Amino acid sequence: MAALAAQGQTQPTLAAQNPIDISQKQSLAASACAGCHRDQSIDQPQTPMGRALELPGDNPTLKENPRLTFHKGAYSYTVETHDDNTIYSVTDGTKTISLPVHWSFGKGAQTWFLERNGEYYESMVSYYPSIKGLEITTGDEILTPATLDEAVGRELNKREPKDCFGCHSSNTVKNGKLNLDSLEPGVTCEHCHRGSSAHLVDAYQGDFSSAPPNLRKMSSEDISNFCGQCHRTWETVVRGGWRGELNVRFQPYRLANSRCFDGTDPRISCIACHDPHHDLVREESAYDSKCLACHGSSVHPATASENPAAVTAPKSCPVAKSNCVSCHMPKVKLPNGLMTFSDHEIRIVRPGEPYPN
Amino acid sequence: MRAWRQGYIHPMLVAVTIFFILLPTIAAAQAPPASFDDLVSQATAAREQNDIPGAIQLYGQALQLNPKWQDGWWFLGSLQYATDSYAPARDALTHYLELVPNAVPALALRGLCEFEIGDYAPALNDIQRALSLGAANQSRNEKILRYHEALLLTCTGKFEEALQRYGVFVQHEAANPELLLAIGLAGLRTPVLPKELVANQRDLFVTAGNATFLFLKGDQKGAQQAFQALFQRFPSAPNAHYLYGYLLFPTDPDQAVAEFKRELEIAPSNANDQVMLAWASLTQNDPAEALPYAEKSAEEEPTLPSAQLVLGRSLLETGNLKDGIAHLETALKLEPDNLETHIALAKAYSKSGRKEDARRERLLCLQITQNRSTQIVSP
Repeated sequence: MAALAAQGQTQPTLAAQNPIDISQKQSLAASACAGCHRDQSIDQPQTPMGRALELPGDNPTLKENPRLTFHKGAYSYTVETHDDNTIYSVTDGTKTISLPVHWSFGKGAQTWFLERNGEYYESMVSYYPSIKGLEITTGDEILTPATLDEAVGRELNKREPKDCFGCHSSNTVKNGKLNLDSLEPGVTCEHCHRGSSAHLVDAYQGDFSSAPPNLRKMSSEDISNFCGQCHRTWETVVRGGWRGELNVRFQPYRLANSRCFDGTDPRISCIACHDPHHDLVREESAYDSKCLACHGSSVHPATASENPAAVTAPKSCPVAKSNCVSCHMPKVKLPNGLMTFSDHEIRIVRPGEPYPN
Repeated sequence: MRAWRQGYIHPMLVAVTIFFILLPTIAAAQAPPASFDDLVSQATAAREQNDIPGAIQLYGQALQLNPKWQDGWWFLGSLQYATDSYAPARDALTHYLELVPNAVPALALRGLCEFEIGDYAPALNDIQRALSLGAANQSRNEKILRYHEALLLTCTGKFEEALQRYGVFVQHEAANPELLLAIGLAGLRTPVLPKELVANQRDLFVTAGNATFLFLKGDQKGAQQAFQALFQRFPSAPNAHYLYGYLLFPTDPDQAVAEFKRELEIAPSNANDQVMLAWASLTQNDPAEALPYAEKSAEEEPTLPSAQLVLGRSLLETGNLKDGIAHLETALKLEPDNLETHIALAKAYSKSGRKEDARRERLLCLQITQNRSTQIVSP
């Protein structure tokens, strides 16, 4: 990868490879699928997954916040947007490093992927809707930059850019290699449904034999691992030894630690409660039927026919039959207090009990 | 011993240091007969006058009269260690440990005795137990024990763990030929001690050790050049490309895979290399690509736990649950504490509907990693 010709003044090589009408390409793909899969395709491009990566000119967060500033220790940060161009700057009062922002990760909270002298960085500061401003990027609080260079952000190793773009964009990792020429921002149909582009072409000719596998047919364990490729699998979190409230962000890990998780029971899979083609449903009562699918009946339908004697009914809640998640999936704030997540380790929460992990 | 004599720490210093650590904890002596008292006084005087042979003899006589005299075994063992009488020292310390189990300095010293007489497995066990009980609370002791632990891990074929220990070591140590040689032996998976090498073998291992040292120190560019020099000078050295691939894997898996493939050209039956190629594919969610490498590695070395692990995972993830579980359970028998095997079994049991077995494995994994907590640095 060629280095920047002159820092902050010319387009980096990678950015130059990205045609600016990429977002159009994405919506074209989704609208093409909408011919048959209307319900799945109409909303999805505007969901947080659909907009997991924003490109210059199509970034409402930066348009609404044309000048963002932040100061910590010896360093001051500015993120300024003019005419669809955003510049990320950090200064120690004497010297300043300014870099163009080409890739913004996230629809709500937003972190910037930066390139400098041929190396990649995760921006040291991020935008958080909860404070409508900048703060240190989640997880980077432990870093203490000793120089202005270090204050730019966390330098990524050679594996990480592939991981970042692999989740926040589509069509960028081919044969294990990062290829930003073909980048499509956000999670598109093809991202999860491999082969859907070929299926589209075939379907127009009346051939439906190449339809991608139906992901709903996967077991709960497999779905957890599938979604966990981006939301982090149980094994990734365990292997990394990531303990404490920060891991509440990694729902497949938390869910698998739940007493009720069963890798073969479709009632406890990610997609039993969430439809990734639509925005997250935030009304707590909307999930009651999911909980009561197990806790409202006395027999486990998946196994009852095979071995009825072995089946024991999950307990019913003695307290309530509605808003189950408000007690059994408590909201947990990240240690920096900037984001809140529902804890997917489903359990009976006892007062004063520490965060289990 | 050589390492100590060439700038590490003299064994006498260890014995003296361990003396002073232990002294406050030594219990009062048992009530002895009169002649025993005389022998104790004489032995103490001889020791204080640095008459070590005389002291050893007197402690021996006193212990014949009272074999439950704790201090006597400790002084006898440490004095024998200081005079390079490692087998008798080990025996004396064993007597002491029977009376005072978990005496950390005695465990450490017995481990060092066992190291010197070539009893590597018990030596490693004693040193690791001593370390786990706090023997590394002084930097001087820590350096000695960690270095010997790394040498012993190499001798007993635990090369990855040895490299991990050296990784901590190199942050605080300057490169010296003895250390580079030791690192080179671990890196090139050669289960011998530096002193066992003949002179014309040293160059290869020092060169490999130097490249590894630079890598572990964080000097990626220097390491790259040093590895290229290694490959040029020793183009057919087994495990050289494997070593570089292994070091690169966590941060640059693509380059690592290229190195693993080069290794296979040199050593087509290198089972560890095939394991890593399979593992690399598994981490890329490509179990079909992993399977042939995994099968070959298990065929080459069926008792290699990691070969059974990657084969089990590859089978599991290509849909063969039953055989996958069988190989994972074999891996577990071969290496019961391997986190990766427990992780894979948790997934396998979960996929096969064995909910309680899956939960047990998950809890075990959480237990194993309880003390490995790291802070998350990526979003």
